[in-house]
Amino acid sequence: MTARVRMAENGAQLVSRLEGRPSLRDIEPNIFPVDSGPRQGDVVEFHGMEGAGKTETLYHLIIRCIMPVQNGGLEVGVVFIDTDYHFDMLRLVSALEGRLAEDLKESDGSENEPEERVRSCLRRLSVVHCNSSVQLLLTLHYLENTFSSQPSVGLLVIDSISAFYWVDRFSGGESTVCQEANLRKCTELLDRLRRNYGIVVFATTHAIMRNYGSDPGVSDVPCSSSSSLLSSSHRWRSAESATDFDKPYLCRAWQRIVTHRMLFTKSPVSKDHKQVFSTACTSIMTKGVKRCSFHVMEDGIKFVCDK
Amino acid sequence: MVILREGICPGINEDFIKALQSEDIRTVEDFVSFNPEELAQKCSLSYKALVAVRRVLLAQCTAFPVSAADLYEELLSSTAILSTGSPSLDKLLDSGLYTGEITELIGSPGSGKTQVCFSVAVNMSHQLKQTVFYIDTRGGVCANRLLQMLQTSTPDMEEQMEALKKIKVFRVFDVFSLLACLQNLRSNGLQKASVGGGSVKALMVDSVSAVLSSMLGGKQNEGMSLMMQVAGEMKMIAKDFNIAVLVTNHVTKDGNGHLKAGLGQSWSHVPRTRVLLQRVENAETPSLRTATLTKSSRQACRLVEEFDLCHWSEERSTSISAKRKLESSKP
Repeated sequence: MTARVRMAENGAQLVSRLEGRPSLRDIEPNIFPVDSGPRQGDVVEFHGMEGAGKTETLYHLIIRCIMPVQNGGLEVGVVFIDTDYHFDMLRLVSALEGRLAEDLKESDGSENEPEERVRSCLRRLSVVHCNSSVQLLLTLHYLENTFSSQPSVGLLVIDSISAFYWVDRFSGGESTVCQEANLRKCTELLDRLRRNYGIVVFATTHAIMRNYGSDPGVSDVPCSSSSSLLSSSHRWRSAESATDFDKPYLCRAWQRIVTHRMLFTKSPVSKDHKQVFSTACTSIMTKGVKRCSFHVMEDGIKFVCDK
Repeated sequence: MVILREGICPGINEDFIKALQSEDIRTVEDFVSFNPEELAQKCSLSYKALVAVRRVLLAQCTAFPVSAADLYEELLSSTAILSTGSPSLDKLLDSGLYTGEITELIGSPGSGKTQVCFSVAVNMSHQLKQTVFYIDTRGGVCANRLLQMLQTSTPDMEEQMEALKKIKVFRVFDVFSLLACLQNLRSNGLQKASVGGGSVKALMVDSVSAVLSSMLGGKQNEGMSLMMQVAGEMKMIAKDFNIAVLVTNHVTKDGNGHLKAGLGQSWSHVPRTRVLLQRVENAETPSLRTATLTKSSRQACRLVEEFDLCHWSEERSTSISAKRKLESSKP
């Protein structure tokens, strides 16, 4: 903080720093625990295996952010960093169209063309593709400018933060410090961005590490204080899940800044041809686990209410 | 790692680099991580110059954010859906292979992965008149078989030869040459090929598991690292050149005895669409196969279609799904 404040800043930067960022607290009450939606500066980790609905949920949340207020959106600018080269614009648009059409039926007051409405929503989203951890780091530095000059941007999405894990592991040689250097620097920078600008960060991590030797009997209550020094794996243990792939494996610096952790699982059997996906969200602010289930439909995700 | 050196950007000279090295700053990452103000004091360099250099370096090395509205516009005009030639498979894939993404075929030996690749390659070169790059890692490409397939669709020798010319085969037998081949394609091969008339729209790698699976296992990271680099190259080729990438992979069984894609959890995130090929048990015709969609962001998973390897372009089911906006941009 101090380093930042001492630097000269122009009026726009000052305003964007002092004036509150748009709030994302009510982004999706179905997913986040009651009264514990992502506040300014929170970091949410989406963790799950392939095809467990992480990216689909991200689309859902992004759409909620970029839709106009009169359609039930938040009108918040979003920056999407795509490190997996997985971002599916067509999928996002078809989900967005579905949502806009839904609202149109209810209100039918708008005379705007649907295409134009989609476009005006999409203008709030910018997309960056990164192909290495160095590029990710430099891009984050570059984005600092964007955040400081655009107060409307409130959400940074990184899909996924673990994409360069193996490449970095190998190129770092023997020492763990070198292996994790780039991700640690990225994390430090993210930490600064969220503190100074109140940006909310959503990041996905692939579940690729098997949890050998874990004892699911131990269920620590997540600590209420954010400055907890407990080891991170213990912090999240209470969200015990069906999969044994929930081991956090990224560097400690990253584990430390995460405030919410969301585990994604999908049901193995699909009855009536509908796959049920479920999330379990834990946060360091509140006790307990918020669970929810959803289906993935043609026009985005639909929550299953009865749970 | 981008090393700071002379000539990397205007304003960086020998003294500048020496001054930074005294503070143990050798790479661009180190440099941009520092606050220019502190740096100016420590290294006694001009603050103005530092800020300017920092800005230029960032502009050179970072990826630029693109507005999603522009990206959407660009996608609508550039995305093509390449028909595989088989109505059943097209139906499963929501009308064909999409450019810009990786599609994976998985199946046990003899389930027809390579045959499907051949058929798709032949269809693209003959019907769609597109150049196809075919990376063969198992020595499985058989020109006779390709010709045979062409002969069923056209009796004209000239046409057959024309189509065969459009299938460019690369033979690589280890992961390093695969990586080199992909890098080479990305840096110059693809531009050259598109200059010579007819753009390249498809790249096939048959199979990725043949070269990758031997590298994995044990406690080594090298294999994983190489695998992710291969994946990264393919993703970049798919996205930057707007190419449909088709790869084949073997299958393993999970704890419950279900078939799943080989190469492990890390690889499983790589393809965007995955199709499982299986032999039909006790079928009258031995060439009958089922294709099951196991991963897709467009269609419901677990869709199953039947098709016949020998009668590729024959329709077995009734309807072909009509597709929304993109239909018009189909080549």
